[in-house]
Amino acid sequence: MDKETLFREISHALVEFEVEKVAELAEQTLLQNIPAFETITEGLVTGMKEVSRLFEEEEYFLPEVLMCSDAFNAGLEVVNPHLDKASLEKPIKMVIGVVEGDTHDIGKNLVGILSGASGFEVYDLGRDVPLDRFIEKAEEVESDMICMSTLMTTTMDGMKTVIDRLIERNIRDKYKVLIGGGPISQTFCDKIGADLYANDASSAVRKAKELMGRV
Amino acid sequence: MLIREDILTPKERMMALLTGKPLDRIICMPIVTTNLAQLIGKTVKEFQLDGQVMADAHIAGFQKFGYDLIYLFTNCSCVAEAMGAELVYSEDEPANCEVPVINSREDLSKIKVAENNDGQLPVYYEALEILNQAVGDQVFISVCFSGPVSTAATLRGVEAFARDTYADPELCHTLLRMATDSCKNFIREIVSYGAIPIILEPIASGSLFSPKMFDKIAFPYIKELVDLAHELKALIPLHICGKTHKIVDKMTDTGADVISLDKCDLMIAREKVAGRALILGNIDPANELLFGPVEEIHRICIEAIDTMKGYTPAFVLSTGCETGNKVPFKHIQAMLDVARSHGLYEYIKEN
Ligand code: B12
Repeated sequence: MDKETLFREISHALVEFEVEKVAELAEQTLLQNIPAFETITEGLVTGMKEVSRLFEEEEYFLPEVLMCSDAFNAGLEVVNPHLDKASLEKPIKMVIGVVEGDTHDIGKNLVGILSGASGFEVYDLGRDVPLDRFIEKAEEVESDMICMSTLMTTTMDGMKTVIDRLIERNIRDKYKVLIGGGPISQTFCDKIGADLYANDASSAVRKAKELMGRV
Repeated sequence: MLIREDILTPKERMMALLTGKPLDRIICMPIVTTNLAQLIGKTVKEFQLDGQVMADAHIAGFQKFGYDLIYLFTNCSCVAEAMGAELVYSEDEPANCEVPVINSREDLSKIKVAENNDGQLPVYYEALEILNQAVGDQVFISVCFSGPVSTAATLRGVEAFARDTYADPELCHTLLRMATDSCKNFIREIVSYGAIPIILEPIASGSLFSPKMFDKIAFPYIKELVDLAHELKALIPLHICGKTHKIVDKMTDTGADVISLDKCDLMIAREKVAGRALILGNIDPANELLFGPVEEIHRICIEAIDTMKGYTPAFVLSTGCETGNKVPFKHIQAMLDVARSHGLYEYIKEN
């Protein structure tokens, strides 16, 4: 199989969430001395882009996205040890979590998965996250972005609190603040002075890249 | 707005509907539950663990609003709890299952099919006894509980459950089977108190699973519950929150008597349910109902009533989901005010 066919097969198997097949095909790329970087960007990431599109169009839902992300990770595990780190752009770092008082974490996890699959370095704080934890972690890992999710109207004001505390500490400009979840809107985003709002995981990734100047 | 006093009691109104007689106004059943604890100065935790508190709160709520149904509900995990899951109870939020019990097949030994007296289920029976005595002649009482999918997913963790639908369907269906049997035991008990069992399926929501997957993991099991209720001569509503526009026809195919909707265009619902069931919904409890103002609530309730005008068997004005602790009571009152003004029918009381 030539390189292009192999990449296409990888993307295809990934979208069909054939976990083992993706791993096998990834092994083949190594045998053919194809650089890991190309396999990732042209096989695996291309596949996840398609998954992202299918999700946005409501063809794929939670189970399918999770299965595809397992396939993505299976492929990544095979080629990653052979990756020439110098070939990579410095990844964008994001700290993500569900704000304090809320345990709905499915949407946040999808955003985390699709971001990770697009080359972001994701630090997942989980759900019901104490507000200061977002800032502590962002400082600790020198993150580029702070991403907050909530599905409850009762907890959305926590997002404003985080932004206010960033301002108080004079570090607001160090971070791009992204917010999302059911009750969040562009209006709310503007009101609390966040940098970006997206209403689904696919557009979240797209807009985040644009915001960071990577298209 | 001219608000007319009710002519029929809520129970008379429901009976009139069921027997094809005229009604005095549109039926109005906002989903008011644990937030009633505040009315009697109790916490959500006390409400969930003490049948007397639950009953007292509901009596206070019914007297205040005079709505057409009492909804007994504690949290989405009570059937899972009765099967062996452990919940975390906090003072003012409904209890939640933080750590799933089933992390592998071996863990199946940690759960069982719930019998009627397991977990906190008896809290409901205690409340039902008190409520039947106190207001049972005036209003119907219902008990809401998570159905097979939501219960199984709570036992397993939502994401592990979602993966199982492809990676380990056998485990998935084993859990669904046990959850269904547990729900059936609970339904028998609920019906024996003369109450209406309401199936909640937040996790079978069209926000999480495809319509195809709904057919596999939700439909057959929910239908089994509906069939049992019908055998027992009880009505059974089905409530699914989140998006439902792509599954509302399937929800109706289960045979449920009431289709209770959240984020679903009422025009679509009207067309898909097509007279096969009552439609109940769908004022957003996390938006207008929470923030107000009252005039806006009036406006959207009137809009819903107008959209559903002429729908038979009937449209029931309600909320898309339970009203949370922070929804002001005057906003719930605003819904009933619309029912008692814009929602009036001409009615002459017979003697
Ligand atoms: C599934 C569900 C549950 C599950 C959650 C399982 C889990 N592990 O998450 C269970 C059954 C456990 C549950 C429990 C409860 N729930 Co619930 N639940 C839902 C439901 C039906 C779907 C939510 C969901 O997962 N959607 C699917 C995902 C994929 O969509 P999403 O979260 O919106 O995420 C997408 C976008 O928003 C965006 N996004 C998300 N985060 C971020 C972040 C960033 C940075 C960006 C850019 C984008 C982004 O991308 C995501 C992917 O595309 C909603 C209904 C609804 N209308 O949303 C209610 C809902 C959220 N629940 C609600 C309630 C009230 C509760 C309970 C309190 C009920 C109770 N009495 O026990 C408890 C909460 C306990 C607590 N304190 O947290 C209410 C909240 C109302 C309010 N006050 O605001 C809702 C809105 C239902 C309603 N209409 O009233 N629930």
